[in-house]
Amino acid sequence: MKTVEKEIGSILTGTISSITQRSIFNRLGGLATTPVQQLTPGDRATILQELENSIRLFARSNSAQLIASCARALTPGPGGPGAASGPSSTSGVVMAPKKLAIEQEKDIATARLEAWSEAVRIGLSKFASVKVATAVSELARNIIFYATKGTVELRSLKDDKGVMGLQIIASDQGPGIPPAKLEEIWAGTYKSQRGMGKGLVAVKKLVDEFQLDTRPGVGTTVTCMFKGER
Amino acid sequence: MEQELPIIQIRNCLLVSIQTELHDRLALDLQASLMDRVRTVNARGVILDVSAVEIIDSYITRILNDIGKSVRFMGAECFIVGIRPAVAMTLIEMGVELDSVHTALNLDLAMERLELLQ
Repeated sequence: MKTVEKEIGSILTGTISSITQRSIFNRLGGLATTPVQQLTPGDRATILQELENSIRLFARSNSAQLIASCARALTPGPGGPGAASGPSSTSGVVMAPKKLAIEQEKDIATARLEAWSEAVRIGLSKFASVKVATAVSELARNIIFYATKGTVELRSLKDDKGVMGLQIIASDQGPGIPPAKLEEIWAGTYKSQRGMGKGLVAVKKLVDEFQLDTRPGVGTTVTCMFKGER
Repeated sequence: MEQELPIIQIRNCLLVSIQTELHDRLALDLQASLMDRVRTVNARGVILDVSAVEIIDSYITRILNDIGKSVRFMGAECFIVGIRPAVAMTLIEMGVELDSVHTALNLDLAMERLELLQ
């Protein structure tokens, strides 16, 4: 029996890179390895919603056709309009904040893709969206490296002039950054064992607003903001 | 999840197309097996194709630089090819450098430059 991952993978290959495919399946979690025959209508709607968002973003061509093929592949038996009509009714701008758990290395990729889709969805430019994804990648990596786990929250905000922006809050209950080390980091002299020791500095340069709250023994919270163009 | 990136040999060059998330262990494995192959096939150059990589952060940059340095220590040259425009812009803005590797627009141009270097 074919799993969702196999079925969808064969449709997407050639149009969506395998890295992106991996992230999509990671986001689906257990659903990706479920045999297609065993999906409930609810599962199917969830998968299609996810695929629709990702395919719109990343497919090099024919996104509508691809989404339709995926819907067909997931629907048992001929026809099956019930599943196909699922995604269109639920798609649209999602304004609710998204909180992502960062607990393993693969969560970094998931957070990155999630941030990217959110940035594109609220209308940030292509370059800005790559910057958002890169910043989230740095922050999520810091969480895994130094605190082992934490969360990344994405909030789409609209300012009083109606300009959309994306706020990223990365927080953990890790060891915190001691003041001496923090000084080295901002001075650019800090060298970490695993990274370049430049993650925080890089994020600060990428974003429009940056705020760091770190307490040794308590944890670290980085709040930053990307503003859309007006 | 056991995986290993395939290393392809073209004449005296080694080619790796990065199509997957480069995490810690995978990157170290790649570095080690590249070193091995450079020695056994007397490679003059190593080319890493990153055209499928949508996001490169400071950590990945460090991995690429490390691979570049170790390849250079062995007397070969390392090329990164296919960096996407948005990725390049982001790297510049972040202030991180890809200074231990050569870069080329695509595989063809990297091969051409490697031939000139010899």
